[in-house]
Amino acid sequence: MIRDITLGQYYPGDSWFHRLDARIKIIWTFIYIVSLFLIRDFWGYITVLITLGLIIGISKVPLSFILKGLKPIFFIIIFTFVINMFMTKGTSLIEIGFLTITKEGIRNAFFMGTRLVLLIIGSSLLTLITKPIQLTDGIEKLLSPLQKFGLPSHELAMMMTIALRFIPTLMEETDKIMKAQMARGADFESGNIMRRAKSLIPLLVPLFISAFRIAQDLAMAMEARCYRGGSHRTRMHGMKMKKRDAAAILLMILYVTLIITQAQGILSFLMMSLIQSA
Amino acid sequence: MRNTKYLLQAAVIAAAYSALTIVLMPFSYGIMQVRVSEALTILPYYTPAAIPGLFVGCLVSNMISPYGILDMVLGSGATLIAAVGSYLLRKKSFLVPLPPVIANGIVIGSMLYYAYAVPMPLFACILWVALGELIACYGIGYPLLQYLKKYKKIFELH
Amino acid sequence: MQIQVKNLNHIYSEGMPYESVSLKDVSFEIEKGEFVGVIGHTGSGKSTLIQHLNGLLKPKSGSILIDGIDITSGEVKMSDIRRRIGLVFQYPEYQLFEETIYKDVAFGPLNLGLTQEETDRRVKTAIKLVGLDYEEIDRRSPFELSGGQKRRVAIAGVIAMEPEILILDEPTAGLDPKSHADILQMIQIIHSARNTTIIIVSHNMDDIARLTNKILVLDKGKLAMAGTPAEVFSQADYLESLGLGLPLSAYLMNELRKRRIPVSEGILNIDEAEEELYSILKTY
Repeated sequence: MIRDITLGQYYPGDSWFHRLDARIKIIWTFIYIVSLFLIRDFWGYITVLITLGLIIGISKVPLSFILKGLKPIFFIIIFTFVINMFMTKGTSLIEIGFLTITKEGIRNAFFMGTRLVLLIIGSSLLTLITKPIQLTDGIEKLLSPLQKFGLPSHELAMMMTIALRFIPTLMEETDKIMKAQMARGADFESGNIMRRAKSLIPLLVPLFISAFRIAQDLAMAMEARCYRGGSHRTRMHGMKMKKRDAAAILLMILYVTLIITQAQGILSFLMMSLIQSA
Repeated sequence: MRNTKYLLQAAVIAAAYSALTIVLMPFSYGIMQVRVSEALTILPYYTPAAIPGLFVGCLVSNMISPYGILDMVLGSGATLIAAVGSYLLRKKSFLVPLPPVIANGIVIGSMLYYAYAVPMPLFACILWVALGELIACYGIGYPLLQYLKKYKKIFELH
Repeated sequence: MQIQVKNLNHIYSEGMPYESVSLKDVSFEIEKGEFVGVIGHTGSGKSTLIQHLNGLLKPKSGSILIDGIDITSGEVKMSDIRRRIGLVFQYPEYQLFEETIYKDVAFGPLNLGLTQEETDRRVKTAIKLVGLDYEEIDRRSPFELSGGQKRRVAIAGVIAMEPEILILDEPTAGLDPKSHADILQMIQIIHSARNTTIIIVSHNMDDIARLTNKILVLDKGKLAMAGTPAEVFSQADYLESLGLGLPLSAYLMNELRKRRIPVSEGILNIDEAEEELYSILKTY
């Protein structure tokens, strides 16, 4: 049950992509997402698909993992697809009763659907090839310039690290409490939404009390070992940019260039002329 | 205000938020979006450490969820704004669950409309999310707030 | 036979790469009113087994009959099972959540759909049975009590459901010696008050030897041995190979026996040991 859920999406590996600095991967993911919204037609997706294919292929993440990420939003994808197909106004193609499928509708459905799928796959790649701890270090480093403006990036990263460490503990605690209350006849499964909501109190209150007790004990333990917050703490694994990170930056620039030229219609123009001349 | 206990309270709130999101997963991700862990948005009533705590909790649970970075940034941003709002309204317990309903409704609703292209009008997206939040924050969060009143001691920061 | 377990099998995380067999072909019987001990090394499947007995876990195969009704079949309602079989987890005080002790103990009965009057009666009885003063604590918050008292309240919460079978997982974990003895005494009182069948999981062999009339020994998911304390604890070497110990007196007797001193079998506590040694010394 609880054991079945592997924490995080991380798929272990030693590929070039796995070894990239976490900061690069985070920035890349942002660039990727923004790029998806710059694309206006299907030709642009070619660049995206090639890029994704390369990343997935080299990092050796199995396709099943990638597709697993789509499972929770499967219904949203279908929903988006269907509604776009039936609701877009334009030249009608097929009429089924009072529902009309238009040419534009089909195009939109596929376009939006593809964008959604690519969005999810691309952003889940980040967590697939980066360990949570690397992510938090990366975020901390990226945010540290903001410390000058008062952002406590070290503290935030510390909170993330400690939170990650305690999630399995609290998950187990949640499981135990749920079972103990179920043994007393509590029912977390049946009833309407309001009833189920109320039934969670016997779970949440003891969970809270446990969690805060842990907080108190750990705070004392940390202070007993002279933790005083901070920027003066050293790290066990430093974060250094390597040659491959520089190469990655160049590749990102290439990607962005391709996307922008495509967005300006250059790529589709080339493709169309190629096809027409053939 | 920034002492170790504050840090740890925030960390455990973040951990609890994520743990609940994962354990009650079928509820949390997916179309209905009744995130039980959103009930924890009442915690600013008890401790200011809940502001970074909820923010980090949202961040972390999105890190390990299949949704990805958009949710991570926007969702966490909304949670942060909401937490500050709840903290500011902490004198009136009935209003404490309100900021998350509004903030998440607007931010996540807009995200669903603009980014995920959910084909419903904008206000419908916003209302849909707000409804899920309402159930979590007022349906579960508010009673939780009342129950925890007896245990105020554990929230002390000194 | 009140409890009949037949060929129980359970697999954790079935279908996942890290699936593991947690219970393998376990079969045993328990009569009404027995006081049973379950012992086994960590990971032997004790927790898994007891969670099957009250329906929290479903087996892969096998059956569990309580008073002749198979609780593993789909038709049985969970609330009916939990009405009759109470389960007290380790550190049960961590499940307390209500505003007052009365309300927390009433949680179970109310979940069973009992009337306010009946609930009231049961709460009062349960609190008394665990040795606490109802008048004094019913309106207090459970968190004002000491650890040992909280545990009693938690146990009261389960026995207020008036189960015919009560299962306790390490009821004395983390308690000081006096509370340890008190809780065990409380369990004995519950046992005799309604002839409740008791099943205790414990690592304390002396307690088990003293209180139980039947022991189930688990090892890596299998039922390695079942019998009376005298029978089970006479297999010192086997128990040791399973990573289990003996009651202290039995250890002593075992060592003496190895040195060819003719002490009788079946000595499990200090008093018997004293008598036996005394009578042996007289012959020298």
